[in-house]
Amino acid sequence: MQRVKKLNSSNDLEKLRIEINSAWDSQKPCIAICAGTGCTALGAISVVDVFKAEISKKGLNGKVNTLVTGCQGYCEHGPIVVIQPEGIFYHRVKPGDVSEIIEETIINNNIVSHLLYEDSETGEKIVHEKDIPFYKFQRRTIFGDNCRISPVSIDDYVRIGGYKSLSRVLNGIEPDEIIEIIQKSGLRGRGGGGFPTGTKWKSCRKAEGDIKYVIINGDEGDPGAYMDRSILEGNPHSVLEGLIIGAYAIGANEGYIYVREEYPLAVKHFTIALDAAREYGFLGSNILGSGFSFDVKISRGGGAFVCGESTALMASIEGKPGEPRAKHVHTVEKGLWDKPTTLNNVETWANVPLIIDKGWKWYSNIGTEKSKGTKIFSLVGKVNNTGLVEVPMGTTLREIVYDIGGGIKNGKKFKAVQTGGPSGGCIPESLLDIPVDYDKLAEVGSMMGSGGMIVMDEDNCMVDIARYFIGFLKEESCGKCTPCREGLYQLYSILTEICEGRGKEEDIETMEDLALTMERASLCQLGQTAANPLLTTLKYFRDEYDAHIRDKKCPAGVCKVLINYSIDIDKCTGCGLCRLKCSVNAISGEKNQVHTIDPEKCVKCGICYDVCTFDAVKKE
Amino acid sequence: MNSMKRIGVFICHCGVNIASTVDVEEVTRFAKDLPDVVSSEHYTYMCSDPGQELIQNRIKEFGLNKIVVASCSPAMHGITFRNVVKKAGVNPYCFEMANIREQCSWVHLDKKIATEKAKAIIAAAVTKVSLLEPLEEKTVSVTPSVLVIGAGIAGIQASLDIANAGYRVHLVEKDPSVGGRMSQLDKTFPTLDCSACILTPKMSEVGHHENIELHTYSEVEEVSGYVGNFTVTIREKPRFIDADKCTGCGDCATVCPVKYEPRPRKEPVLQPIKVEDKKVVDLILEEHSYSEGNLIQILQDINRKYRYLPRDILKFLSVEMHISLARIYNVATFYSAFSLTPRGEHTIKVCMGTACYARGAANVLEEIERKLEIRNGETTSDFRFTLETVNCLGCCALGPVVVVDDDYYSMKPGNVERLLRKYRNAKSEKTK
Repeated sequence: MQRVKKLNSSNDLEKLRIEINSAWDSQKPCIAICAGTGCTALGAISVVDVFKAEISKKGLNGKVNTLVTGCQGYCEHGPIVVIQPEGIFYHRVKPGDVSEIIEETIINNNIVSHLLYEDSETGEKIVHEKDIPFYKFQRRTIFGDNCRISPVSIDDYVRIGGYKSLSRVLNGIEPDEIIEIIQKSGLRGRGGGGFPTGTKWKSCRKAEGDIKYVIINGDEGDPGAYMDRSILEGNPHSVLEGLIIGAYAIGANEGYIYVREEYPLAVKHFTIALDAAREYGFLGSNILGSGFSFDVKISRGGGAFVCGESTALMASIEGKPGEPRAKHVHTVEKGLWDKPTTLNNVETWANVPLIIDKGWKWYSNIGTEKSKGTKIFSLVGKVNNTGLVEVPMGTTLREIVYDIGGGIKNGKKFKAVQTGGPSGGCIPESLLDIPVDYDKLAEVGSMMGSGGMIVMDEDNCMVDIARYFIGFLKEESCGKCTPCREGLYQLYSILTEICEGRGKEEDIETMEDLALTMERASLCQLGQTAANPLLTTLKYFRDEYDAHIRDKKCPAGVCKVLINYSIDIDKCTGCGLCRLKCSVNAISGEKNQVHTIDPEKCVKCGICYDVCTFDAVKKE
Repeated sequence: MNSMKRIGVFICHCGVNIASTVDVEEVTRFAKDLPDVVSSEHYTYMCSDPGQELIQNRIKEFGLNKIVVASCSPAMHGITFRNVVKKAGVNPYCFEMANIREQCSWVHLDKKIATEKAKAIIAAAVTKVSLLEPLEEKTVSVTPSVLVIGAGIAGIQASLDIANAGYRVHLVEKDPSVGGRMSQLDKTFPTLDCSACILTPKMSEVGHHENIELHTYSEVEEVSGYVGNFTVTIREKPRFIDADKCTGCGDCATVCPVKYEPRPRKEPVLQPIKVEDKKVVDLILEEHSYSEGNLIQILQDINRKYRYLPRDILKFLSVEMHISLARIYNVATFYSAFSLTPRGEHTIKVCMGTACYARGAANVLEEIERKLEIRNGETTSDFRFTLETVNCLGCCALGPVVVVDDDYYSMKPGNVERLLRKYRNAKSEKTK
């Protein structure tokens, strides 16, 4: 299609940009189909195929643009199709709907109303994406670009202004000035640590040594978090551009991206991006004629959560087991292969071109006093609108959960929102008005973390949740230091005893004691923050622990040993569905007679509870 | 010197220990009538000074040349009475003790039975002593040195104990180094001490102790002689190194072209790598430049191709990349992406990310475990299914999510049966 010619200067780049933009008619209808992971799981690829076929059939090739994009954020409602330039938003699109969309919307300029989003409260149908509450309250400075490009097309990225910041930097901003800009912007690490990025870059630049490295941390191990994946899959060049700028500022000629093993599509798209960038000359020697040379290698994880920790990650790149080391010698001085290394999170790098482009003043006007810019969160769990949301720092949790998230699913009652992954904590209803901010979240015992936000309702048991997190970390602990390795094992044992009705009063004190030791004596952050979910649930949900220990009851109805399933004789109609579905044949009864569950055989799987249409199965 | 047997029997009351259960007077009368018994006495405490004196007096009086003392266990006063007898001029080996306390009065309640038993014991002792020959104690010169064979921890400790007691020790070890099995261990049980921390000081001491002569890389070839005077031949195996000059710097080992294991390990019989596998692995190694830093990527490529890491291939890697098999296993067992056992045709991954967990993923996992009769991480015996958990696939809107191969499903425990049926009914790879 395009002849690819290496760009030897900023001028070449601008000429290319003009060329691409003139070839792209923005007035033509553009069908943007989301093929992010969530939508793909819901069948987006078939939708894409049918679109391509139908467009061909109707002779519309050349009259419409199609974009197969990365994640657009509203995963709950996928597969998503957005028609530009109007921004008409269709959700839950099936292959069978495609011809109707083409016929009605593309050809006849009509709306297909059954594919429109419907406000669950007012019943009102909303046509445009920007009016939908989920999107309305967001500020998608980073993520918004996902909808405008195909992630495997570098030309698309250039079209929307990509590599403009790199070009400006190479053309006349000195490394020290770049670092000053980043410092003044207030950008803080988006991986969870929240360390001031500019400061990190400055220390690395000052460190001794000719060989330096920059690394993109794409390990994203927090369960429930998938923002980095969506950026890597949906807009890899934004991260790459940030990396190249950073490398120039620090003085590194080699970079790595470490992607976790579970993200093959991210690796695929990033590989395509690297190849394309090399062809254009954004990577390699003498980038845009500046004399600066830089290239990137891809390194894949092996399925270890601890490899998200910077020293463990570097060990993994070196081909060793991912065991962290003590950080009294900082990685900015001695990191990868003992050379000065700057490691930043995917989202952090993605913010860099934006800051260079719009300026540090503009950036520092977004957010709170100490936490600048926007943050992408993965809002998941028992909330109506699950997906990826980007909001300015300072937005309250309540706004996120209710205004954007649409409140709790199925009309249940909110119980807690968990932030910060396994290192974070559970925040109760009383604290929902806290603004999202690195320090404010830490004050209540949680943390920002990488941005996972899991909403829980009355049917979640907080003791069970604490046990889940401790169990997760126990498996992922590298095992090097005793406080973490043994502490997690013991905490898990005690929590299991509590969940199975054998808890004792003194268990709480024992656990708090263990938590303190782990916090003070563990080698890395995994062990140091491991007890946070436990401590926050103890602080805010003590009554649930008491119920488990004293009364041997699970108020939320989750802990199997403490609950019983039984059939309400007044409601049971004897339809026999539960008996059929029971996987251990624990239910007996004649047709049209009241059925009973044998408590000896019952394994508390909950299938009968799920299938009974008469609400006759009781869980207590 | 009278060659006639003149036996003296001395019966002790031991206070009431014997006398309350055994009729000592009746027994004394009985003993007097035994063949060759010249004197038979009883006394309250035979081991006391007056008791001992009594024995000595009677020996002189009656010219006794064989003595029986019927009292407690020889372990108690055997030596006492032997000395008494010796002092009185009788050969101490013409002496016998009849234990009528521990073996009679202390274990019976019935006086009649106990007395009869005591009589029987004494009669036996008298018969025995009448057959005893006088013995002379001799002094034989003994070479005050010890041969210890084997320098594991037992041999090392024994050598040190003996050497510290002032005797010379020859410690022979067939391996080039002392230490044995303990030097191959990390910790000891149950104290969980560091094995090397305990062992190595002793290893060092045994090499430097002035009373120990260490013969390593040597074997005992012949032993002759007798206790206290053995003659041993030790063969020192050729080291081709002058042990007096060698400092152990190791420079020679680094240039030696021969790979030699002094004690070949018993490895499980390993099939050499198949020709077609060698081609595949060679390509992978080339792609990653045979570089140790790329070990994880190399293992990933192999894991992807074979669905697990076969041991013969890992062994091949260790040879080709010049890194130890242990190091490769260190990496292979650290990362959960690698499997050391063959995986099934279909991999079922249950997402246990927080969002899916909060929506009930644990119940889904349990139901699958129940239906497939395997636990998380295992493969069914027919190799159709492997069950794993994974943390966050990024499809939280679908949660709980289960991925089978590349297909995503939103699951509830009630739908598991149907899902499994779908894959069971599909033709197996083997039958295709």
